[in-house]
Amino acid sequence: MLTSPYLNKEECKMKYYFSRIWAGILITLLSFSFTSSSYAIDIKLWDLSARQGQDEFYELLKKEVKKYNPDINVIVTEWENEAYKTQIQLALNGDDGPDVFFNWFGEDSARLARAGLALDLTPYADMEGGYGSFISKGWQDAGAVDGKIYGIANKAVSKYFYYDPAFFDQHNLSVPTTFGELIDTCKSIKAIDPSIVPWPMGNSERWKLNHVITMLNQRVVGAENTKADYALTAPDDELFTNPKYVEAWEKVVELNENCFNDAPNATNPELTRSMFAAQISPMMYCGTWCGGIFASEGFTDFKMFRFPRVEGGADDGTVGFLVAEGLQVSAKTKHPEAAALVASINVSDTMALADAELRGSLISNATLIDQMEDAPHWFTFYVNDIADKSGHVNVLDVLLEANVSNAYLDMGTEVLNGTKSPQEAMDFIRKVALEAKAAM
Amino acid sequence: MNKTQTNSIGFSLSSDRVSVIILLIPALIFCTIFIFIPAFWAIVGSFYSYGMTSLNDWKWVGFDNYIKASQDEFFWIALKNNFIIVFASIVLQVGVGTILAAILDRGIKYGKVIFRTIIFTPMVISSVAVSIIWLIIYDPNVGILNSILKAIGLPTPSMGWLGDPDISIWMIMIVAGWQNTGFMMVLILAGLQGVSKEVYDAAEIDGATGVKAFWYITLPMIRNIIIVAILITTIGAFKVFEFVYVLTQGGPSNATQVLGTYIYLQAFNLLHMGYANALSVVLLIIALILGWFQLKASRRA
Repeated sequence: MLTSPYLNKEECKMKYYFSRIWAGILITLLSFSFTSSSYAIDIKLWDLSARQGQDEFYELLKKEVKKYNPDINVIVTEWENEAYKTQIQLALNGDDGPDVFFNWFGEDSARLARAGLALDLTPYADMEGGYGSFISKGWQDAGAVDGKIYGIANKAVSKYFYYDPAFFDQHNLSVPTTFGELIDTCKSIKAIDPSIVPWPMGNSERWKLNHVITMLNQRVVGAENTKADYALTAPDDELFTNPKYVEAWEKVVELNENCFNDAPNATNPELTRSMFAAQISPMMYCGTWCGGIFASEGFTDFKMFRFPRVEGGADDGTVGFLVAEGLQVSAKTKHPEAAALVASINVSDTMALADAELRGSLISNATLIDQMEDAPHWFTFYVNDIADKSGHVNVLDVLLEANVSNAYLDMGTEVLNGTKSPQEAMDFIRKVALEAKAAM
Repeated sequence: MNKTQTNSIGFSLSSDRVSVIILLIPALIFCTIFIFIPAFWAIVGSFYSYGMTSLNDWKWVGFDNYIKASQDEFFWIALKNNFIIVFASIVLQVGVGTILAAILDRGIKYGKVIFRTIIFTPMVISSVAVSIIWLIIYDPNVGILNSILKAIGLPTPSMGWLGDPDISIWMIMIVAGWQNTGFMMVLILAGLQGVSKEVYDAAEIDGATGVKAFWYITLPMIRNIIIVAILITTIGAFKVFEFVYVLTQGGPSNATQVLGTYIYLQAFNLLHMGYANALSVVLLIIALILGWFQLKASRRA
């Protein structure tokens, strides 16, 4: 120990010990900083929960990402559907949100991009492992806002009528190709046994009927006529004034009278899936995620058909329901390149094949689809049918401005309950649309 | 002992006062972080227009959000529903709780602890779990309520218990009552047990027994406890959220909307954070007024 001529022995001793303590603290801090800067990069990924095969899918993703960068750890958190819609918005505004997160592509993803909460992924398309080499330009555009890519679409969901062919054969029912035939089929089923619900409708969460009115607007009003209204770009005196919108709601009233169960607004959508899977009801309109659910509940001998065309409607029945989904990257991520890599690897050839095989997804990258083993019959049907459609329509609760979307959801409940007529429903939607447009 | 001390810079502080300040500091810090600062920002935010996804883009709108609230039919529906829940909760929870407490205090001789425990049990279950259980009970297709009614030949509502805008708010009240009546019962029972037996003996000599004794002796004696119970119920009814959110999400078509769910809808679904703040300020003012009454009543009790 050195001594100083200006300090006494005790002071020198104290100074010596303090210098040792400070040195120890510095070494510890330095070692921590080296540890954190040189090694692990944690990428938090949020997705919806309860998908079949999801655990295996994400285990594979973690391994695939490590092939490109062994320092990246992907930490997956799963959320319930309704909770996620709120939680993701809160988290993205905070400092501890996810780096990579699931979203529905449409207004939901575009809003985050416009608010600066989603990262522009355009520069990462062509990096090593970048999404540009995995998915087509068309699929890339599904996540585009103003020409920039803010999300990487890994799959899409569509909707079909599922029916029980054994029941149809037994009672000589044929697959309806028009809306009129669909109503007749419902009537025939009720004539066979009035206790059978031809098409169970569970609208307690409001979105179920929203998917039906999405297709009815498409079939009756048509894509060309709805475009300006949906985008709120139509002149004020024309916004949502097309009488065909009312006609679409009138079709809902017809369905409610002839096809649906009692109290659809108090019925849970999951229960209606079980009613079909248990063959209590012979038909239902459900998403492409439903095939696997029916199979997991023990019913695999079902078949599908498209939402029928409406006689005299603007659409010939070849346009289908399709919502692209995928991953976005938070603009606040501390590791933008690593996060973009994770979102990109999610659509690599290997991961896309695994997505189709494990989660039954309608994948955006079909390079290895021929290698898919034992594809269930419903999966093959979806893939072929989507390829065969002339166009696609996004669902209203994703596509429309939030207030107008909420008005459509509310009016679905009102029309089903009979508390508002189709005309009153459209008057209300128009009023909300005008207010929303004025606030833009 | 001299309680006054002089510190090194010359201030004279009572040691009791120092202790009080030191003991209050942690509570003040937490209250400031979790109550005062958020409340302050809610008040400030209510004069702006901004959304959940545009937190850095605040637009000054003055009192527009409050004017909008006064013209918003769903805000008035929500407020009306809160008042319905207040009055129905007082009748169901405090009223039935008082009757149950009286029965347990003087009406039955055996099994008091068992009955008290059974009635109180729903109180310890999470409100969300209770709501989900009742969601299944009310289900129009597989719910036990419809099955029982159909079995005895009674009609069931065609729109469902929670799908009919005319009855759904009352169905929610039943669930809230089922869970909270036990708590009111225990609160009032504690008051009843403080009433001296001699008072009843004296009343009996004067000919007041049974319902008469309950009306003229018991109720006036526990008046302050009942006031506290009413205020707790009232404040709870204004704060109600989870029952409505789980059972109906404010539907069908906003028929069961309350301030809590409507604020949530505006903030997180429609992304009107400024407007949601204004509605929260209205709720805050109502809660402050009720809280002031509760404090006064508590002191008297």
